[in-house]
Amino acid sequence: MRKRTFYPKLAFLNIQKNSKFYLPYLLTCIITVAMFYIMRYIATNSSLNDMLGAGSLKEILFFGSIVVGIFAAIFLFYTNSFLMKRRKKELGLYNILGMEKRHIAWVLLFETFIVAAASLVLGLSLGILLSKLIILILFKMLKFTIPWGFSVSSASLLVSVLLFFGIFLATLLFNLMQIRLAKPIELLHGGQTGEREPKTKWMLAILGILTLGAGYTIAIVTESPLSAISLFFIAVVLVIVGTYCLFTAGSIALLKLLRNNKHFYYQTKHFIAISGMIYRMKQNAVGLANICILSTMVLIMVSTTVSLYSGMESLLGNRFPTDISVGFKNPTDGEMENRLRQLQDTVSEQGRSLSKLTDYTALSFAVSRDGDTFATDTDNYVSSSDASELCFITATEYEHLTGRTVTLAADEVLVYSNGGQISGFFSLFDQSFRVREHLDSIPITGQFNASLVDGYFMVVSDDTVLNQLYTKQKTAYGDRASSIRGEISFNLDGTDEEKLVCYDAIKAVLNKPLPSESAAAYTGEYIDHLSTMECKQAATSDFYALYGGFLFLGLFLGTLFLMATVLIIYYKQISEGYDDKERFEIMQKVGLSRSEVKHAISSQIVMVFFLPILMAGIHILAAFKMITKLLAVLNLTNIPLFIGCTIGTVLVFGLIYGVVYALTARVYYRIVS
Amino acid sequence: MAGISSFCYGSTSTMLTLNLLYPVVRFLVITRYWKVNINYTGGILMSLLSVSNLKKIYTTRFGGTQVQALANVSFSVEQGEYVAIMGESGSGKTTLLNILAALDKPTSGEVLLNGRNTVTIRESEISAFRRDNLGFVFQDFNLLDTFSLQDNIFLPLVLSGKSFEEMSLRLEPIARKLHITDILSKFPYEVSGGQKQRAAVARALITNPQLILADEPTGALDSHATDGLLQFFNEINNDDQTILLVTHSVKAASHAKRVLFIKDGEVFHQLYKASQTYDEMYQKISDTLTMIATGGERHA
Repeated sequence: MRKRTFYPKLAFLNIQKNSKFYLPYLLTCIITVAMFYIMRYIATNSSLNDMLGAGSLKEILFFGSIVVGIFAAIFLFYTNSFLMKRRKKELGLYNILGMEKRHIAWVLLFETFIVAAASLVLGLSLGILLSKLIILILFKMLKFTIPWGFSVSSASLLVSVLLFFGIFLATLLFNLMQIRLAKPIELLHGGQTGEREPKTKWMLAILGILTLGAGYTIAIVTESPLSAISLFFIAVVLVIVGTYCLFTAGSIALLKLLRNNKHFYYQTKHFIAISGMIYRMKQNAVGLANICILSTMVLIMVSTTVSLYSGMESLLGNRFPTDISVGFKNPTDGEMENRLRQLQDTVSEQGRSLSKLTDYTALSFAVSRDGDTFATDTDNYVSSSDASELCFITATEYEHLTGRTVTLAADEVLVYSNGGQISGFFSLFDQSFRVREHLDSIPITGQFNASLVDGYFMVVSDDTVLNQLYTKQKTAYGDRASSIRGEISFNLDGTDEEKLVCYDAIKAVLNKPLPSESAAAYTGEYIDHLSTMECKQAATSDFYALYGGFLFLGLFLGTLFLMATVLIIYYKQISEGYDDKERFEIMQKVGLSRSEVKHAISSQIVMVFFLPILMAGIHILAAFKMITKLLAVLNLTNIPLFIGCTIGTVLVFGLIYGVVYALTARVYYRIVS
Repeated sequence: MAGISSFCYGSTSTMLTLNLLYPVVRFLVITRYWKVNINYTGGILMSLLSVSNLKKIYTTRFGGTQVQALANVSFSVEQGEYVAIMGESGSGKTTLLNILAALDKPTSGEVLLNGRNTVTIRESEISAFRRDNLGFVFQDFNLLDTFSLQDNIFLPLVLSGKSFEEMSLRLEPIARKLHITDILSKFPYEVSGGQKQRAAVARALITNPQLILADEPTGALDSHATDGLLQFFNEINNDDQTILLVTHSVKAASHAKRVLFIKDGEVFHQLYKASQTYDEMYQKISDTLTMIATGGERHA
């Protein structure tokens, strides 16, 4: 009968006794549970449904909850295995003292149960309490109206309980397996394995240099934002592989090289540092690489999402040069004039007035450029870094826009480019064109300028040439072919609300065929004929929902990863403290003074601590250009803003990291001395 | 100088006599050393190591109970001597060694090494002092796993800022003598206990210390390795290296030229080897230990 309380009691005492290890673990479990619940709660929150642009936000948050879930599993497993490594000796002692393995299994079961129960109860309570606060912050970020009331999502509670129950069960099974497989004597010595000097793995070290170099090269060389999207993940994977290789093999190879240099090695400072570092790197390389990658992720995530969010105004300005823009596919003769009149009437009916009105008809389609030849490469024109966009208008339109009259031959063009250079001749569809003049500016800005690829704006002689080009690209691209588009764009006066009202009225009018013609004049639905219908003010809430969601996710995951980083550092320091204690004593016996030993060891700690951060800094520096390209895809072209956000993020992160360092170093010294 | 009075020499045949004579022995030991100190202050004569009236009292953290580890210890060691200090667990051996090694400070009394009072050396100089003047050999070797044997041996010299060439030059004859030349590049976990201890001896010797302090050096060795190590100690001692050995192995002590016995924090008795064989010395040490154990009980 006494047995019934024995195991739980022993389990509880064990946790209490090992509180130096268990407390941070428990804390992490609690926070992870809380974060997961909050993420699920928000992602499934019904008050989001009524909000404009909530669809994409919900997707982001759903994705976020999956990331948190996966991360929680990996991370709790990692910390658990660390705890087990530390506790093997203790469990071995129980075994020697006569507890059978099944008894130890009982103890472990109760320990896991206590930790799991505490994590779930405290974590979910914390989650429920904080969920309201977080949703307030989120809605504020998204510029949503803040809903009243407080709710608990039982579905999210259930999902959280199931997930973490699964994780804890897995860690328990893992621990039991280890106990089962181990011999008592191995358990007793469990904490002391890994003394052997690491071998130099040259292959791995070189692989690390190569992959890291390749990753950096991709990040630095890539010019086109479109290829940046597809290459970014390749670069990330290369850099991650390179980081792991360099931390595990590269560091040891370098240290051994240094050790082989006798005159360098046999100096008081280098002697202890190098040999100590070889030993440390063997035990910590993977942990340090983890810290490095997590820090890089936190820094990039937070700095980009903060830039996107705080650069919202300029970003919207890039994406929407005017308040309202509409486009018509293959407008018929005179349609544009009629539509324009219709628009102007609608706007004045609404009591608003137009400004910056532009209207033109143009044909634009994507091509890939090879020297002076533009080809309609249907296979890879989108991903190719040579992708270009051509935009053609007739001389008549050009005159309409600029008031300048030009007379061109059928094979002559005027060219304006937003990036790429073009010489006197180029060929397109086996037809060659002669550049009559390079233009310094074009009357239509906006989308064309914000384009991600090189854009060429060309003035051709007349409709005949334009229609020829239209037919040819239609043959080449088939279903994906472009149309000749009539574009009208303008600004409105008034407040955002007034503009939105006006926009709705315009939408109602434009969604119908012109009164003078019948719907039968169009093939298919009329709405297809209206190719674009955009209003900056209407899109703003969408953008805030999207980028606010990104920011929220960035900060949320950033916090989670930061917590993980901190915990890894803490555990590293503590476990090293116990290993160093012995070395510390021997060195003193052999003739090192206390202060010398302390200095030697603290310089190693500083190195171990700040190496990952330094590496993360280099990663960010290398990735910087590529990230600006990616931000350009998301319409953020304000590079100084991004630089500022990155520096700010790095500083804040560095500060937190420094505080963590100071705190752990204190625990460390207490162990050592 | 003959060190402590040879009064006791050959007188252990009857334990009873010795027990009766014990206070006299102590008196003589103390007065003799007092004289030595006077000699030193007079600048005429001095021992390499002279310990006088050492007392060490440990107080528990909250000042409750006091434990006397060393009551009153005085003795001296001459240049080129090989002295073993014996005693049971708790007799104060370790405390004495820690004080000699300048790792601990006595409550009162002084330790003079070559005339320098190690008790009053400033904290900031103490490590350099130990590095330059003392060589240590420990029971558990105290080799650092992160260093190869060679680097372990070099450690004290590197700390003193010696060049690689000088260190190699110094190591060469020592390694040859200790038969570790071939294993210098190995790591401590790759070699046997005897080899580890020889590396530790090399580390102690390489600084040319005034005094080698050995704390149970054979404690973790098998009998074969023990024989080898004791043989090395004798050889080193024949080269005029002073050795002070703390042990409770009779075999180890029987190799020393002189054996001091400590009991309850005091020097209780001493034996000189002189021309006796190891076996004879072994027997005498055993007898003395038996006498101390049984007599000690009677005292208490």
